[in-house]
Amino acid sequence: MNFAIRYLTRYDYDADVVDNLNALRVKPAANSRQRVDEFSVRLQPEVRLHRHADYFGTEVVEFEVSRPHRQLVVDVRARVSTAPAPDPPESSWDALSEEAYLEAGGEFLLATDDAPGHPVLLELLERTRAAPTPLATVMLVSELIPDRFDYRRGATYVDSPLAHVLDGGAGVCQDFVHLGLCVLRHHGIAARYVSGYLFATAVDGGPESVEVDTHAWLEALLPGDRSGEPVWVGADPTNRGLAGERHVKIGHGRHYADVPPIKGVYRGLASATLEASVTMTRLDGLDPAAIARA
Amino acid sequence: MTATDPGVDERGAASIEGYAVPAGCCDELIEDDGAPRPHAAPLLAALRRFGPRGLLEAGLRRDAIFMQQGITFEIAGTDGARRDRPFPLDLIPRILTATEWTAIKRGLAQRIRALNAFVDDVYHAHEIVRAGIVPWSLIVSRPSFARPVHGVRAPGGVYTHVAGCDLVRGGDGRWRVLEDNVRTPSGISYVLENRLAMTRLVPELFAGHRVRAVDHYPTLLLEALRAVAPATDSRPTVVLWTPGPANSAYFEHAFLAREMGIELVEASDLVVRDGVCYMRTTAGLQRVHAIYRRLDDDFIDPLEFRPDSLLGVPGLIRAYRAGTVAIANAVGTGVADDKAVYHYVPEMVRFYLGEEPILENVPTYLLSDEKQRRRVLSRLGELVVKPTSESGGKGVFIGPQASAAEREQQARLIEARPERFIAQELVHLSTVPTETGEGRLAPRHVDLRPFAVFGDEIRIVPGGLTRVALREGSMIVNSSQGGGSKDTWVLDDEGAAGDLAPGTLPVRRPPRLPDVRYGGWHGQAQQQQQSALPAACGLAGSG
Repeated sequence: MNFAIRYLTRYDYDADVVDNLNALRVKPAANSRQRVDEFSVRLQPEVRLHRHADYFGTEVVEFEVSRPHRQLVVDVRARVSTAPAPDPPESSWDALSEEAYLEAGGEFLLATDDAPGHPVLLELLERTRAAPTPLATVMLVSELIPDRFDYRRGATYVDSPLAHVLDGGAGVCQDFVHLGLCVLRHHGIAARYVSGYLFATAVDGGPESVEVDTHAWLEALLPGDRSGEPVWVGADPTNRGLAGERHVKIGHGRHYADVPPIKGVYRGLASATLEASVTMTRLDGLDPAAIARA
Repeated sequence: MTATDPGVDERGAASIEGYAVPAGCCDELIEDDGAPRPHAAPLLAALRRFGPRGLLEAGLRRDAIFMQQGITFEIAGTDGARRDRPFPLDLIPRILTATEWTAIKRGLAQRIRALNAFVDDVYHAHEIVRAGIVPWSLIVSRPSFARPVHGVRAPGGVYTHVAGCDLVRGGDGRWRVLEDNVRTPSGISYVLENRLAMTRLVPELFAGHRVRAVDHYPTLLLEALRAVAPATDSRPTVVLWTPGPANSAYFEHAFLAREMGIELVEASDLVVRDGVCYMRTTAGLQRVHAIYRRLDDDFIDPLEFRPDSLLGVPGLIRAYRAGTVAIANAVGTGVADDKAVYHYVPEMVRFYLGEEPILENVPTYLLSDEKQRRRVLSRLGELVVKPTSESGGKGVFIGPQASAAEREQQARLIEARPERFIAQELVHLSTVPTETGEGRLAPRHVDLRPFAVFGDEIRIVPGGLTRVALREGSMIVNSSQGGGSKDTWVLDDEGAAGDLAPGTLPVRRPPRLPDVRYGGWHGQAQQQQQSALPAACGLAGSG
């Protein structure tokens, strides 16, 4: 599928601020399933951009507005084409203890310490224990979490601890992913947090342009078929099932804090109001004039 | 204070005669038969002349001076309140011969070169991992593994600018490394202050010994910091960054800044603009080329490390990545002095340097390894267990001194999170005569933390901080746990030149300014959520 993505963020400050430093992790990743045809970041006030790839391979765009200002606009545009994910490998539990798997899993195997012994977590662990294969566990986790928890905006904050989600029984995609990572790693399956964009419309039809938000899902490391290399398989615990063509990946990390779309600080005795929007337009089947507008 | 009457003299002599070296230990000044070791003979003779009363009086003067000068250590009392007490300097020095010191110095320099190479490797090529020596899974599980500096090469390739490895001497008289400290090791100010206090309080003790000087440490450090500073200017600006007066080592920060003649700064004095770090001064912003920072990685840049910490300098890692500023010690060195990584240091020496380690490790067991764990649990009563991510002697379990209940509890802790602990063979730390009240001398256990400085090359101040466990039989020497210190003498070889002539120090700059008008830092972050329409959930195709 082909998409045009526009991610527009505006901060309004009620007094002058200075030394506004930000790091963006918003550029779609280039990989075997994704091609990035265009990518641009425009800022208001206009300042220089610096780019580098971080430890996890995500492209980071950094900038700073040092002189006094009252508004910051970050306008990100990208064109991406995606391909469907190949069928995930159906390997057995035994393969999880092999050296090659443990090496490839690295830090994504380490237990998260967020809510040890929480009764709701124990229940989730119990209910996901008996799955016949690692892949079945991944599928089960991405079904069970939306069954057991409500998707509710405002139920949590950007840095809510897992216990908050477990107690409240609700959260947003970021919380569902953290929960999924916690459960999968408990079962010895390496799992990582994925940040990206999701073209969230009805499967057949629907508008070609939708207002979304940045989205989060996870990738689990599954041992390859017939002793092949382990492969990362995307699964979306907010939307029940595996990640596909509509999922546009930015990057991954151990958790949200490794791949936040925008992270910044500024100095000033001002409070900020934020307006952010992500518009995704599907370009397949659009006439060239419409594509040019998107 | 030099006056001694015959009675005191006699009691002084008697106090050494009653001296009993603990079984299995090596005393550094006294032979097993009670005779002074040859290199210590002049000191023991001087102590006899001095007498217990002389020692007591000097001790009282010492405490008064230390309190007055603020040479104190903050400890938590049993009631939880924190209070200052004079840093306990025992007036009996520890003496190392020139030959002994030369071996230690070579061993340390070798070890620090290997640790420095390891830090570079961890953040770049991973050669030691690919060679199958250190498992990658161990590195990524260390809390001090600093992902934000992945791929960043420190200016000059130096990471471990200041190292303070802890050495111990076992019953066999051999020196071993107990742990490495390459983050922000502290204690050097006590080395310098102890020497100064000794020469003032008990100059008589130095008679008959040629003791090598230590007071050039600030010069060495400043030269090293200037050597790594990325500046074309021959006078790069170096600052010392302290977390502030609330820090327990603030005295040392202020002391070193003053001795080096450099600015003592806090986060609010530093700002990063366009990838360059500046210090605020009366004359506006002044470029900073090197920062000797005395706080952990977690707190240096809220954009890269802990976002909840707004104490740091936002953008500092950007400047560091751009190569415009040197940070000492480099960011991410904690991965090299982690207690679980320690086990591999002798292998690092062989791998990176192609040499045999001069200084050995204390035999150490990794409890995440099931076989080693089982063996350790079966002989927990003989071993020492340490948490891998604590320092300052916190959480250390000493098998032979633990009750059955304590052993059981430690075993449970290990079973629950084995990767959080290491076990070590108990080293019977060497002893040195120590004043124990009423001017009497008794053996007390000691360790040694020499301070090495790495700029163009590795230089080590003779001796270092000797820490002494003041309680009888105790082997925990940390000052936070009731330890004291001793002046450490390295004797000069016949005919050998002094260590180094002290260089010239720059003129002190005007004091720093209060913060400008914009106040503190604020964080901005967006929560990641899917869609304004909950209905969108479940509608999307599953690919």
